[in-house]
Amino acid sequence: MSHTLILSWVTFIYFGAFVLYLFRMILGGRSWGKLASLAAWAGFAAQTAAILWRWKVSYSLGIGHAPLSNLYESMIFFAWAIMLLHLFIEWRTGSRAFGVFVVPLAFLAMAYASIAPGVNNEIQPLIPALQSNWLTSHVVTCFMGYSGFAFAFGCGLMYFLKTADADKPENSNRFLKRLPTLASLDLMIYQSIALGFVFLTIGIMTGSIWAHYAWGSYWSWDPKETWSLITWIVYAVTLHVQYIKGWRGKRMAALTMVGFASVLFTYLGVNYLPGLHSYLN
Amino acid sequence: MKKALRSFFSSIKLTVVLLIAMALLFMVGTFLPQREGAMEFAQRLSPGISGLFHALGLFDVYHSPLYYGLLGLLALNLTVCSLNRLPVSWKLYRTPHFPVPVGLFSKLPPNRVLLTEQNREGCLSSLENLLKENYGAIEKDVKGGHVFFSIRKAGLSLFSVYGVHLSILFMIAGSVIGSVLGFEGYVNISEGETTNLVASRNGGDIHRLDFSVRCDKFTLETYANGMPKTYRSDLTFLKGGQPVRQGALMVNHPIHVNGYRFYQSSFGSAPGGRAVLGYSTGKGQEEKVAVSVGDRFDLKEGGAHVEILRIEGNLMKFGPGVKLDIASPQGRHIQFWVLQHIDEIAEMYPELLTQFPLFDPALFKPYRFYLKEIEQQYYTGLQVVRDPGVPLVALGAFLMVAGLILRHFMPHRHIWVRVDEAGRQTRISLAGRSRHMAALDRELDLLGRRIQEKGIV
Ligand code: HEM
Repeated sequence: MSHTLILSWVTFIYFGAFVLYLFRMILGGRSWGKLASLAAWAGFAAQTAAILWRWKVSYSLGIGHAPLSNLYESMIFFAWAIMLLHLFIEWRTGSRAFGVFVVPLAFLAMAYASIAPGVNNEIQPLIPALQSNWLTSHVVTCFMGYSGFAFAFGCGLMYFLKTADADKPENSNRFLKRLPTLASLDLMIYQSIALGFVFLTIGIMTGSIWAHYAWGSYWSWDPKETWSLITWIVYAVTLHVQYIKGWRGKRMAALTMVGFASVLFTYLGVNYLPGLHSYLN
Repeated sequence: MKKALRSFFSSIKLTVVLLIAMALLFMVGTFLPQREGAMEFAQRLSPGISGLFHALGLFDVYHSPLYYGLLGLLALNLTVCSLNRLPVSWKLYRTPHFPVPVGLFSKLPPNRVLLTEQNREGCLSSLENLLKENYGAIEKDVKGGHVFFSIRKAGLSLFSVYGVHLSILFMIAGSVIGSVLGFEGYVNISEGETTNLVASRNGGDIHRLDFSVRCDKFTLETYANGMPKTYRSDLTFLKGGQPVRQGALMVNHPIHVNGYRFYQSSFGSAPGGRAVLGYSTGKGQEEKVAVSVGDRFDLKEGGAHVEILRIEGNLMKFGPGVKLDIASPQGRHIQFWVLQHIDEIAEMYPELLTQFPLFDPALFKPYRFYLKEIEQQYYTGLQVVRDPGVPLVALGAFLMVAGLILRHFMPHRHIWVRVDEAGRQTRISLAGRSRHMAALDRELDLLGRRIQEKGIV
């Protein structure tokens, strides 16, 4: 057995957890919900173990480094960070409604890591430019930020579904009834964006510090840097429009989608533009 | 008029418009080729469009007047907005503990109201102790049969937003200082050489440092699979010919000297270097010589002279090779290459030596030459940077992160506790004010739990 095998299992477990969360929302009943949480926790624990294992293996290969150095490793970490935030919020709020919308994001990240073309799951040695602790902190904080935005995106989807319910409450279905109220979704969107924004800010700062040591300039307008700044601006705008009258609810939910699209472009789309960060070359 | 201007420049709508305009400009910058790459692209556009793009600065958006204009407006917006709001925050910070805000205790959710059979006096004193224990400074007020306690937490957090906003001004200022007063250049130095001249990146004019740099050695290490592991330059910095500083320069470990930072940026093999040649006549007895380009030596027997024409680290992908010119005693010249890996190469291409005698190390009979090793000579490529804006940008970055953490993880909360009588019971009500409702709720939940755990209710 190897850690990559565990990670493939984790992919399926997350899918299973998603299905169980879905059952809970459609069929009701506490036991589905409990099973779903159990699966989510089990997958998360296994994934944590696999990541630590991979870390250890890299040391026994003599090229030891934190497993955060290429597209495959960052995807796995992204899924891990999404699950971490999901389980934290589920524990904190005691609501199991988020799983249906957030766990599939973790599943998709895992699946992308294993099947997308050009993603290499071997443990590679680090070229000189990547040998930096700042780079490790940069990746960790950026993906914590991205997971906050992923969560907000999930809540945005829920918000739109729920407004469909709010328009015709008499014949709404049970699934929609079990979604959190609009007010609490609104608050959750705000909080996860604020959390993501703090982490993205720290992520951009640590990235600049790394660039300062590695490339001779804290900012070089490389496409990935520029897109992370665009993403940051989108969320800064999102935080500010709340102070303009009436910009809550649906518009915030729409902004979570714009923001998350920008996150995805920063993360994946930019790799197709030339620059320092392109993992693919 | 003045008032209208002020409200225009302090509006968040303006902020949103400016930020969106910037984001769009940056997007253009990532999709359109910029600076050096833009020339060729511009030729493929129609003259009208390319002229328009030029006028707007879209081929160099990060240095365009449009970008600087947006930055300037944002800075103005931030300044006016902050100055406008500062008195408001100050007033909030100085809000007296009492009287309690109007309507604070009306419409409390049920879990914020705790009822107990204990008498009021006992309840009050244990409650006061609990609050003092957990929050330190508390204020108390008695009014109309009600007793109020007031607790303020993280009052300074009211100003965290100013930290965040001010930090942006610092970063803008730092980046402008860097682009006006900063310097960036490149220099290649061969092993053993010394220089104090650096080619500036913009325009390529030569910049003279007031100290010089010597490259003592360049080392390249690779992993087993051939990927580069370390690039390292051993440098000596000299002033007036005297060494003042020595250091190993590696990627991610720049060296800071006299306000300049040196970075390991590239490397290459310098022409020349030294090679160790061997030769024999096939009757045992092998000779060895160490040579550089231009060296000559005599072959023991036969009176022939050998001259070293070239030393290459990687000739046509065949690996290290040395080109010889042998002058026979009869005055004939024979030129050929001695490749280090000739045996393996000849095995892979059996026809090679017959087709290209140029690669036959035994072309001058009866001698056969061997290339034992070549000592590669490298040059190191250094990036030299001076950016006096960095401290200001770093200060801004620190301030921004500190402000954000203060605002979101230690938000300002103001809590009031009311104790009164409801029928025969004593009633404790909890309420508060904060911009951060979730944090306030958590705080009130916690306080409620503590009151229950102490057995007060
Ligand atoms: C790139 C520029 C800016 C960034 C990154 C930024 C960042 C922030 C952040 C993170 C917050 C806290 C939001 C929250 O907790 O919900 C905030 C609040 C705020 N910002 Fe900005 N800001 C920027 C520019 C501006 C400008 C130009 C103005 C001027 C109109 C402004 C006005 C405000 C106001 C009024 C608040 C609310 C303050 C409060 O709640 O006490 N911001 N800003």
